[in-house]
Amino acid sequence: MPKSRYAVVLIAAAALAVVLIGASLLGARDKTAAVSGTTPAAHAASLFAGIPQQGTALGSPSAPFTLVEYADLQCPYCARWARDALPTVVASYVKTGKLRLVFNGMAFVGPDSHTALQTAIAAGREHHLWDIVHGLYAAQGGENTGWVTDELIAQIAAGVPGLDGSKLLDARSASWVEAELARAAATAQAAGVRSTPSFQLGPTGGPFHIVQVDSLGPEGIVPAIDSALAG
Amino acid sequence: MSERTIRFTSAALAAVGAAIAGYLLYVRFAGGTLACVTGGCDTVQHSSYAELFGVPVSALGLAVFLGLLAAALKRGELARLTQATLALAGFFFGGYLLFVQVAVIGAICQWCVASDLLTTAIAALALLRLRAGETSAEPSPTAVRPHPKPRPNGSRGPNRTPRQRARTR
Repeated sequence: MPKSRYAVVLIAAAALAVVLIGASLLGARDKTAAVSGTTPAAHAASLFAGIPQQGTALGSPSAPFTLVEYADLQCPYCARWARDALPTVVASYVKTGKLRLVFNGMAFVGPDSHTALQTAIAAGREHHLWDIVHGLYAAQGGENTGWVTDELIAQIAAGVPGLDGSKLLDARSASWVEAELARAAATAQAAGVRSTPSFQLGPTGGPFHIVQVDSLGPEGIVPAIDSALAG
Repeated sequence: MSERTIRFTSAALAAVGAAIAGYLLYVRFAGGTLACVTGGCDTVQHSSYAELFGVPVSALGLAVFLGLLAAALKRGELARLTQATLALAGFFFGGYLLFVQVAVIGAICQWCVASDLLTTAIAALALLRLRAGETSAEPSPTAVRPHPKPRPNGSRGPNRTPRQRARTR
């Protein structure tokens, strides 16, 4: 009987492992689908309409406070923050001229992060970085599966009025884009950012301090903004 | 190696594994960053593979290590089988997660690797325990203890020779 005992243990362990691995793969795929929700172009279209964008910044340059977001476009938690908290922050603080947002992209998850960030930086020169960032978050795929395709970028760009998709694709390989990526990485390192999303808040022009966010919903960031605005 | 030694070594390793999983779970809910020399701990912990349908993998790891600890401390065939099944399943799943770290995420979490090594060691010990259990004389908790031999009527104690008995008369 000993041999059958080993076989039972091995089969039970393998079955348990297969269930766990299947759940892990399905969970990773469903998380992406949950963040996606609707089409990328629809996400990118309206949230930032009428708000000035300049480079990596969103909102009025004369806003009294600036919130810097450190994020990787492949990070699912960054996508969740963009979906759950960003609309409230934009509607309540950016549109009203109280706050300016700055996107400091990072590309540490892998090759798709790099391609996505190149695209976002290139779109920044056309004053549409935030549209592309939001569109990429909405379409976020599995990590380093090659999901940041030219077709996806063209699809997102098509939903952004005034943005030329083919021009954007060409601009990604420019040397100034790589220089901007390096500058963003150096800024994140200097700020001591070790995970994403991370945030810094302070008067526009600085100095900034790290804001600890314990929730990815609006309730995680709003108290810190309110506290800063209250002086 | 005796089954007793295997059990207590497994229990010690499972306790260390539970402590690691507890630390990962604490940082996840308390916020902040993980102590990390490999540089990829937070990347892995914030990846979409760090949860199973909303349940952190670290919580699953804590449950498995506590289960392994309990199975190591208990005696008997059921405990042996439970320990071996849990440890081998953990070994297979840990191997998959290691592959995901290297091939998909592109970052290594030292705490996950430490957990994988502990699970591998416990799985090896669990197999040794299964083999030791086949020939072990260690009684299981359900084993019936033999009744003592009844004393002859009038005797004052065991193993007294006729001369000893004569001396006390």
